[in-house]
Amino acid sequence: MGGVTPGSRFRGMGDLKLVGRQIYYEQLNFWLNPIGAIFTVGFSVVFLILVGSSAGHQRSSAIGGGLIITYYVPGFIAYGVMAACFNMLTINLVVRREMGLLKRLRLSPLPTWAMLMSVSASALIISAAQVVLVLLIGRFGYDVPFPHNIAAFVVALVVGAISFTCVGLGMSTLIPNQEAGAPVTSIVFFVLLFLSGLWFPISSSSGLAKFSSYFPVRHLILSVYDTSIVQKGVSSWPWHDILVMAIWGVGGALVASRRWSWAPRQARRGHSRSLASSGMMGGRRLG
Amino acid sequence: MPAVSVEHLAKTYEGVDAVKDVTFEVNEGEVFALLGPNGAGKTTTIEILEGFRKRDGGRVEVLGYDPADAATSRRLRERIGVVLQELAVEPFLSVRQALTRNAGYYPNPRSVDEVLQLVGLSEKADDRVKSLSGGQQRRLDLGLGIVGNPDLLFLDEPTTGFDPSARRGAWDVVRALTGGGTTVLLTTHYMDEAEALADRVAVINAGRIVAEGTPESLGGRDVGESSIRFRLPDADGNPPIPIPATVSTNGIYEIKTDKEIEVLATLTNWALREKVNVVGLTVERLTLEDVYLRLTGYEPDTDPDASSVWIGSS
Repeated sequence: MGGVTPGSRFRGMGDLKLVGRQIYYEQLNFWLNPIGAIFTVGFSVVFLILVGSSAGHQRSSAIGGGLIITYYVPGFIAYGVMAACFNMLTINLVVRREMGLLKRLRLSPLPTWAMLMSVSASALIISAAQVVLVLLIGRFGYDVPFPHNIAAFVVALVVGAISFTCVGLGMSTLIPNQEAGAPVTSIVFFVLLFLSGLWFPISSSSGLAKFSSYFPVRHLILSVYDTSIVQKGVSSWPWHDILVMAIWGVGGALVASRRWSWAPRQARRGHSRSLASSGMMGGRRLG
Repeated sequence: MPAVSVEHLAKTYEGVDAVKDVTFEVNEGEVFALLGPNGAGKTTTIEILEGFRKRDGGRVEVLGYDPADAATSRRLRERIGVVLQELAVEPFLSVRQALTRNAGYYPNPRSVDEVLQLVGLSEKADDRVKSLSGGQQRRLDLGLGIVGNPDLLFLDEPTTGFDPSARRGAWDVVRALTGGGTTVLLTTHYMDEAEALADRVAVINAGRIVAEGTPESLGGRDVGESSIRFRLPDADGNPPIPIPATVSTNGIYEIKTDKEIEVLATLTNWALREKVNVVGLTVERLTLEDVYLRLTGYEPDTDPDASSVWIGSS
């Protein structure tokens, strides 16, 4: 199969260095693109400050009468992780596939696992940077305490980040062309954020909450909130939320492994056009 | 041992035969060109050799490896270089960063400065990829193909879209590489490119190799008939030409013959004797393009304006 093949088997220290270098260039590529960096990292910070300044002092019955800013800080931590691991990653992979970058990588000696590992690790690094940034702004800007169960907070974020990375890998295979990459992904992302209560807390007994609990977005927001803020009668280990995210992650990974294509889905010119557009050039599969 | 050996290669996409029966060999250090029209199977063949696609039939060996064998695919990819038809470089990296990163994938890469010099991008080394012109990006593509110091380089239509001077530059790079012993397998539409670079060419049409040989001998070019062309100053007042010739409406006479020395002697003797001023006399063998068009089944349209008439004595 085309994925982690014996021929591309781990070669020890040399390969660790290879992945390290690849992560470095992934980071370089991200931070050298100011618009991409601002939209991914800057959004969570700007939103937090805007929403926090305008409505942060209000209280909400949906979170037991708590200060609404104590909801927004965990919420934008979750947002930052999803923005990097799902939104940015999906768009990035579609663009790279359609540009022919994935094909070029496939023809280089860089093993598939090393490519996927460095792309995912890079998204995790960007997520972690945002988590720290939002935590610090919350703590020193709005007096929101640091998470009360740090271990559960980290577990929820790590599972969430890996799951959203897998969903992003899967999502990228469902988008047929470069032009659709950003709009489709962003619309799905922002509609789910809205329904899942990022902009305003929603009561868990409402119909909206029940509907959005089928998707992983609400579970990441809730699991970060539950591990951050002490609430009566609520466990600080949100196992249910973590489980739902993990199931979505496995689903995303399965879709990715079945539908993965190294070749552009939409050939732009030349003799491969007819074959490619009729889906005959699916390329080799992962997994 | 040949660098590339292909026997009875076949590939089908959902019932459509993209490659039916392709057999050829590329020797070490040789430049081998695959010529063929769009859809003939060139790219499919090359992608199978690169290990990007799996074949449905036949035997393939590249540098001693089966490109479909996953167990050796990484070792094979460490020894080949690929230049694709697509421009595929991250736009925000600098030229040097892109080359340095890719060099790190290979066990014995070329130095980045050497590659920059070979592809003529030394001055642009610190510029972002997105600021390069289209031609410069294609040269970077070529640089990425050779930075791993490959034993075998695949060039898929390497100069499509190049202006004439950029094409000459790319040819110089390929010649410099082959001077160092690199084997090159290239596909192209351009006959002059095949003629300028290739030691041997194969013409592929509808999934089959229809001819193979040196550019000079392909399709019997070296033994076939020549075409002798000339003009005469005054269309009406000439004495009869001693050999049957065709004349086009723009006044060019043409004689096709495989005895060009005898025909030229007769013609020039006649011109001297009759004091006829023969102008623009040329002797041409079939061009590679003529042979290619014939092999790939191209039938020239009958153009009424260019109709020819037989004249002269018999």
